[in-house]
Amino acid sequence: MSYSDKVLDHYSNPRNVGSMDKSSADVGTGLVGAPECGDVMKLQIKVNRDTNVIEDAKFKTFGCGSAIASSSLATEWVKGKTVDEALSIKNMDIVKELSLPPVKIHCSVLAEDAIRAAIGDWKKKQQTAQPVTAEAK
Amino acid sequence: MANSFQTATSTPAQDVTQSCWSCGAMRTAYFCKACGKVQPATPVDYFTFFGLPRKLNVDLAALEKDFYLLSRKLHPDVVAQGSRMEQEWSLQQSSLLNDAYRTLKDPVRRTEYLLRIEGVELEEQSKAASDKARNTGEAKKQIVPPDLLEEVFELNMQLEELRMQKKMGEDDPALLEEIGKEKLKLEEKHEAHLRDLKAYWGNWDTLIEREQHGDAVSPEERRQARDKMVDLLNRRNYVRNLVRDVNEALEQ
Ligand code: FES
Repeated sequence: MSYSDKVLDHYSNPRNVGSMDKSSADVGTGLVGAPECGDVMKLQIKVNRDTNVIEDAKFKTFGCGSAIASSSLATEWVKGKTVDEALSIKNMDIVKELSLPPVKIHCSVLAEDAIRAAIGDWKKKQQTAQPVTAEAK
Repeated sequence: MANSFQTATSTPAQDVTQSCWSCGAMRTAYFCKACGKVQPATPVDYFTFFGLPRKLNVDLAALEKDFYLLSRKLHPDVVAQGSRMEQEWSLQQSSLLNDAYRTLKDPVRRTEYLLRIEGVELEEQSKAASDKARNTGEAKKQIVPPDLLEEVFELNMQLEELRMQKKMGEDDPALLEEIGKEKLKLEEKHEAHLRDLKAYWGNWDTLIEREQHGDAVSPEERRQARDKMVDLLNRRNYVRNLVRDVNEALEQ
């Protein structure tokens, strides 16, 4: 199977590979897997608490080229968006952008799941974190 | 309906209400009862092919015996003097026989096969869960438990490091030792999964037996028994892939 140019570009030159401090209060971490193929993807976001804007995003994916490209693209897309805007990214947007063939759709699903999971983790942290800071004041 | 199972329990040759192409008598799945001629393959699932109910505990010795008996009888040499059609059918039946046997004798393949003919699609499951998460705004229910994902991720990081070190011609005994330990743990897990799977077979088989006795089994009961096995196989896939990746990285 041949990958599209965009996939190859992200694959050979992935953006935003790396990791952030998982325990930091403004970092959300999503770790998701696709049992069909055994691939795993970790995506992290750093959110500005006042504006809810995602200021930074990192990923690390152990999986196929399409999964790497999808997660690389996902980090590019979420950066600069608010948390709610980022939630509107759909896997089919990724499929279109990267021209993924049908057998690779689950790889893009993984990226959408990862965004959602990272945001979910961040939101959970905000709920638990706020009362504490309020008390500290 | 209620007693239809009685014909399907033990004898390998299932009664099929079709007549033999050669003599017109009622035929069994592979041969005509009356004249013994080989018949065209009927599109049946592998359990039916061997005259077995859709149960997961299978008497492997009996299966093997059936297999050898049928392979001899269905061997294309038997009809070497027959018509082209008979030779063709014999070939079809033999290859169906081989596929059926290979699938049913292996515990994991047997389970995967049963789940497939029961309508479970792994890919579909994961997609459905994503759709649900999107629509409800809740986090997707991960099919694989988070701690296993964590483990998979960590080990992959270590493997990456190992590959890099090997490329640079370095080696790090501490890392190798850690990966080796992790590998042992995984292999144990792999075996434990198989034991658990076998335990779930019992649940499923009980449902089938109840049905055979004319008891109604609700779709919900069926689904529950199925999903437990699907879950386990999903986890097992990860572990299997990991063991493979570890071995590859160590051998490089
Ligand atoms: S093949 Fe599994 S994520 Fe691409």
